[in-house]
Amino acid sequence: MYKVTFKFENSEDVIVFAAFGENLLEVARKTNVAIDAPCSGNASCGKCRVKLVGGTLDSKKTRHISDEEYAQGWRLACVSKICDNVDVLVPDIASAYRSRMKVADLSSPDEIKIFDDLKGQVCEAGIALKNDMEVVSIHMDTPSLDDTMPDNERLTRAITEVTGMQIVRIPYAVMRKLAVVLRESSFDVQVVWRRNANDVFVYDVLPKEKPVVVAGLAVDIGTTTVSAIIINMLDGSILAKGSSGNGQIRYGADVINRIIESVKPGGSERLQKAIIEETINPLIDTMCRQAKISHDSIYRMSVAANTTMNHLLFGLNGDSIRTEPYIPTFFKTNSMYTADIGIRVNPCAHIIVAPNIGSYVGGDITAGAFVSMLWNKPEFSLFIDLGTNGEIVFGNSDFMFSCACSAGPAFEGGDISCGMRATDGAIEACTIDKETMEPTFTVVGEEGTKPIGLCGSGIIDVIAELFRCGIISPKGKFIREGARVRHDQYGIGSYVLAFEKDAGSVKDVEINEVDIDNFIRAKGAIFSAIRTMLSYCDFDISMIEHVYVAGGIGSGINMKNAIRIGMFPDVPLELYEYIGNSSLVGAYAMLYSSESERKVYEIAKNMTYLELSAITSYMDEFVGACFLPHTDAALFPSIID
Amino acid sequence: MPFTAKSGKFNASIKTVTVGTGDKAITLGGENVLPFYTFDAPIENAPKVGIEITDFGMENEPECVKKYYEGCTTLADIAKKAASFEGVDFLCFRMEGGDPNGANKSTEELMAALKEVAEAVDCPLVVAGSKNAEKDAELLSKAAEAVQGKNAIILAAREENYKTVGAAAGLAYNQIVGAESSVDINLAKQLNVLLTQLGVNASSIAMNVGTAAAGYGYEYVASTMQRVKAAALSQNDTQLQMPIITPVASEVWGVKEAVTTEADMPEWGCQERRGVDMEVQTAAADLACGSNAVILKHPTSVATISKMIKELV
Repeated sequence: MYKVTFKFENSEDVIVFAAFGENLLEVARKTNVAIDAPCSGNASCGKCRVKLVGGTLDSKKTRHISDEEYAQGWRLACVSKICDNVDVLVPDIASAYRSRMKVADLSSPDEIKIFDDLKGQVCEAGIALKNDMEVVSIHMDTPSLDDTMPDNERLTRAITEVTGMQIVRIPYAVMRKLAVVLRESSFDVQVVWRRNANDVFVYDVLPKEKPVVVAGLAVDIGTTTVSAIIINMLDGSILAKGSSGNGQIRYGADVINRIIESVKPGGSERLQKAIIEETINPLIDTMCRQAKISHDSIYRMSVAANTTMNHLLFGLNGDSIRTEPYIPTFFKTNSMYTADIGIRVNPCAHIIVAPNIGSYVGGDITAGAFVSMLWNKPEFSLFIDLGTNGEIVFGNSDFMFSCACSAGPAFEGGDISCGMRATDGAIEACTIDKETMEPTFTVVGEEGTKPIGLCGSGIIDVIAELFRCGIISPKGKFIREGARVRHDQYGIGSYVLAFEKDAGSVKDVEINEVDIDNFIRAKGAIFSAIRTMLSYCDFDISMIEHVYVAGGIGSGINMKNAIRIGMFPDVPLELYEYIGNSSLVGAYAMLYSSESERKVYEIAKNMTYLELSAITSYMDEFVGACFLPHTDAALFPSIID
Repeated sequence: MPFTAKSGKFNASIKTVTVGTGDKAITLGGENVLPFYTFDAPIENAPKVGIEITDFGMENEPECVKKYYEGCTTLADIAKKAASFEGVDFLCFRMEGGDPNGANKSTEELMAALKEVAEAVDCPLVVAGSKNAEKDAELLSKAAEAVQGKNAIILAAREENYKTVGAAAGLAYNQIVGAESSVDINLAKQLNVLLTQLGVNASSIAMNVGTAAAGYGYEYVASTMQRVKAAALSQNDTQLQMPIITPVASEVWGVKEAVTTEADMPEWGCQERRGVDMEVQTAAADLACGSNAVILKHPTSVATISKMIKELV
């Protein structure tokens, strides 16, 4: 056995013992050391770079590491085997994807504004903002030798008196505590229940004097990022909000790699554990602490996630999503409970799942489409959700089409050498001086935070600016030389945004031609999907009357730049509206308002799913769009300077 | 009611590119109708036929081609002979030996060979590279310099080396830049955009949008050429209006129909006949799909295609 010491830039060492020949990335995974490996350890992405600071590693050289870097000790974890006691430095960027769970400061009005906005719009659409959860004080007669009715019948009779309902269902969790609670509070209790058409379901029985919180949990499970809120089910207020990286990411960056992992022996369990025990439950713990409530007072949960993510959450076989004819296990389900899958909330809590409409258009889109309100307006609107999968909805109150395209994780910083989620240290906006080629940028975090990488909105800005300044060609290749432009031994050009001395990590923050190429493919996928879908419906870009952009790619996208690089259609800027994480807001709506939940089911049923792979012109459109801004420059008249 | 045929003449037309100098100069393109649709409007510049020789002289040529060059000892002899065959409009010199994975001849050696050829003939010249993008960057840049004043087509700049080749051929030495892309209308257009943004005059570009021998994935080639022509003419897409030049010889003389000997495959019949058939069929299809020039190897193919063009235009 050899001693492996993982060192970090800003935290304590992790020491572990490993056998001869063990793979370093596997050792790290087993030890819960986060090293980003979007390609799942195939040596193809080059993101699992670590620095050898002591001992030796049996490590192959790959194209991702230059001779100079190899000499400095840089290695790819996925091709390194243990053969000695080693000290390995894991740079911040390698673990940045995991990016420390982040809990939002609710005193800032920005954080809750989107939820308040939604409530207003929902009301305007004539949808009631209420659900079937209630807390009611119930008084029962104290039993005696003359009144020998058992506790559950006593409670049932009292509830029937109040509600007029004959059937009252008392689940195991309540039954177990019933005797003690009733006696401790002298048969004067508060009951949390759900009133259905035919029966009453009792979630909890609590002592009279205790302040009761009826909370709900809404979760948006993205392929890369998970965000969640805890709300008060009775008034809809937000009690806590947080986000975290999806723990499954170390098993692959995109849905296809996850599905492949899930069908390996034990894979489904590993992925379920990664999302529930390593991601959602810790997030719940943190948010409950912040909201000062107990886990048991979360009585309902709602989930908005793409089809693969909601299948993997429930541990369902995802293989049929990946293979023709692409059939998932469910589109809509109402029979899932938190206790089934070990989510740490009240065991009786039922899970509302935003419905899927296709293998690659999932609940995140149906929930998001609800939030955009395009289904309630006469204008022809486009709804674009930028994530690892780009999903697009087009329509109005009369019809809706949707499609999905695989954009890859570039919008969330994946597949980009210095890419990261929009957390502290991420460059989120950038301009470049045309003459000097010097960048000016803003970094997420407190004043003075040093840059360590680029998030989606930052990448859009950097590429748009490089292109505007004539530093890169429409193919994304460097065509100007300067102090910040350099080429590696293979001739791959890169642009340095921050040299090591100004950066917050141990290496330069830069963007190279491979990154730009990856991003151009991502934006090409989005734009070509939009064009293909519009032309399928016999529409033209000029007919778009409103564009809703959703996704957690940064505090906001510079729409002008997104048009400049040919990612979004060239329509007037004022038609664009950034609506943030609409998937989470949609999950919130379904959780808090039962009528909204039903509306989302209705939207899902009415949406036509377009399978882009079945449309032959899509590939042509895609290649045409893999150019800045587009092979057909006439599509982008406004950017001709 | 009398039948009035509707003219299929387009408002847009293919750009004209003149290759070579003096009396023998040829002009490619200029038409505003689909290939050979002379009934819609006259086609002023009929498609042209070129003959290909390489820096290996007769060394690697099939026997059936060698016999036409009997008595030729130097590259200059070969070039003169090639240019003299019936129907030849231009000569293509392919620097096959430059391929680093093959003979890997030095640039100096190849430039000497090129100069020998260029001085021997007065017909328009096409200079083709080694098919290795990296080597061609150097080879074709030097070639553009070596044949200065010849107004030759430098075949070809590709996405990987367009900056070097485009700048040398199109900007420094006023040659015609061949723009080679791999069987995709968008990639063809992207390369033209890149070249024109580099400063190359759009009227000094000839496209090679990809090539294949008939039966070897040829339907993609056909479809790409047709769509390029359709976009150029019906949509007036100026970035696709460059004439198309298609190397045929370098594709067809390597496929099994052309290389298998009669001894190995007696039931296939005469080997020479098969090679010529492949070349003629591929070239005829290229022209029907919109090529403005084809490059062939066998004198019989050249004569046949040339006759076909004369009868159709």
